[in-house]
Amino acid sequence: MISRYERLSNYVIVIVLTVAVLFPVAWFVLTSVSPNTSGALDLSRISLSNFSAAWRDGNLAHSMYASLVITVSAVIGQTILAILSGYAFGVLGVVGERFLFPVILLGMMVSTEVIVIPLYYEFQRVGLTNSWLGLVIIQLGMGVPFGTYWMRATFRALPRSVMDSAAVDGAGVWSTLWRILVPMARPAVLTLVILSFMWTWNDFFLSLIFLGDPEKQTATVALGAFQGRHVLQVNLMAAGSLIVSLPVVALYLFFQREFISGVMAGAVKE
Amino acid sequence: MTVQTSRLSVRARPRTRAVSRQTRKRRWIGLLFLSPALLLYGAIVLVPLIQTVNYSFYKWDGVSEPTWMGLQNYLEFGRDPRMYAAFGHVLVLIVMFGLIPLGLGLISAALLSRAKIRGEGIYRWFLFLPQVLTSVVVAIIWKRIYAPDGPLNTVLRWVGLDSLTRNWLGDFTWALPSLGMIGVWGGFGFTMVLFLAGILAIPDELYEAARLDGSTRWQEFWLITLPSLRGQMAIALTLTITGALRTFDMVYITTQGGPGDATTTPALLLYQLAFVNPDVGKASATGVVLALLCLGIAVGITRMMENKDR
Repeated sequence: MISRYERLSNYVIVIVLTVAVLFPVAWFVLTSVSPNTSGALDLSRISLSNFSAAWRDGNLAHSMYASLVITVSAVIGQTILAILSGYAFGVLGVVGERFLFPVILLGMMVSTEVIVIPLYYEFQRVGLTNSWLGLVIIQLGMGVPFGTYWMRATFRALPRSVMDSAAVDGAGVWSTLWRILVPMARPAVLTLVILSFMWTWNDFFLSLIFLGDPEKQTATVALGAFQGRHVLQVNLMAAGSLIVSLPVVALYLFFQREFISGVMAGAVKE
Repeated sequence: MTVQTSRLSVRARPRTRAVSRQTRKRRWIGLLFLSPALLLYGAIVLVPLIQTVNYSFYKWDGVSEPTWMGLQNYLEFGRDPRMYAAFGHVLVLIVMFGLIPLGLGLISAALLSRAKIRGEGIYRWFLFLPQVLTSVVVAIIWKRIYAPDGPLNTVLRWVGLDSLTRNWLGDFTWALPSLGMIGVWGGFGFTMVLFLAGILAIPDELYEAARLDGSTRWQEFWLITLPSLRGQMAIALTLTITGALRTFDMVYITTQGGPGDATTTPALLLYQLAFVNPDVGKASATGVVLALLCLGIAVGITRMMENKDR
């Protein structure tokens, strides 16, 4: 049906686009295994020593641990909150939802920058700056709008009959949610988990502001400081960058299908 | 007859009331389920949002007593060239983070839509990768690429375009477009994957019918593909434009707003004003303007999409 010319041009488009996107990343990966500190590639002497050097010099063990603790806590919390509030809006209905739902959606349009100033000074007052707990609390609150929106749409898309028959079977509100709806919504929950992991792990702005103490800082902030100090050691910088981005990329490698299909489903639903 | 109807309606009424009472009870349970999220959201987003507005009427260095300024912080916007610059740069970033990826994503998705490509999953994985990469890492990668001795200049020298080589991020004219290119690079894989997914959801019959009517691919694009992607376009635009407005990591890592003020963004300015050399009131005013801008754009996009609906 498609002409040969068309098929060929399709491949050309795909390959050109992929190379364009990939080139910077691939080049960086090659830099990270080259011994040359100027960043010039030297593929005849590939070594992995840059990774251990970056790990040591960049204080990465410590900051990766910080990122991990913060991210895992935030993901678990955000997911539970999203399931509860999505269930409330999507299935149960909420007193005052005509007011409350738009108010929560508003949060998707509120950028972090707008609320971060009072948050910082308030948190400083109560001793929650330079604290992982403080950062997790902020991530939880900020995750509410998207999580609510996402899980509400998910639950609404489930067939109504399932909930009715659950009610007929005498399942309570709580067990209907956890025994029936959440298992049915597993792909969407997984997507939410992945998105929220990615967003929290990749955060720089909040960590920079709220965790000024180098002892507490996350991997992204440590990496930012590291690249400032090691401008002249490009290969170390590249290695450090790859280490910091690895958890999310690994997750993406593993869950690509779920990840992208989740984005698709969310988009189509709208 | 009349008696019967009234009896019927009398019998019907308690049942509806019972249902609505049950519904009402369920809606209170709903509120209970919502309450943890709502409380956190209120404390972390809503209250600070109002506080920011309040802060914006004061002059405060973060330590000593704040003094009431009224609208002074906002009025200074017009006089402060840095503010002008920051918000002006956002316009450029919106085009490069939002509109260009939207266009590129549409074109490539339309070209590829009906084609069967081998290894689809693989190229999709790569095209989407910039979305997943830590923004700090993306910034570091590009900072290197744009460096005076970085790969971009090396390539330019290879192909004999030595005259074009420069310190891209240190150049008053080129620093901002160079940053914008990072947005194009990162954004269009996302829009493309989003649109390809949207196109897959369009029923084949529509295209077959159009083919039978003898329409060209161009007409198919305008009459079928584009209108069907309205929802995805709204999502893509809202996400990428909000992304552009929030640009911070990229600028903080690569240029810190320099050279001069050539790449300051509102978020960077806000950060500096709030935490580096505290002028908290002015920082808050920046935040408020940024918020209004975000809101206006989101509402505007929704309106536009609704209009197209009719």
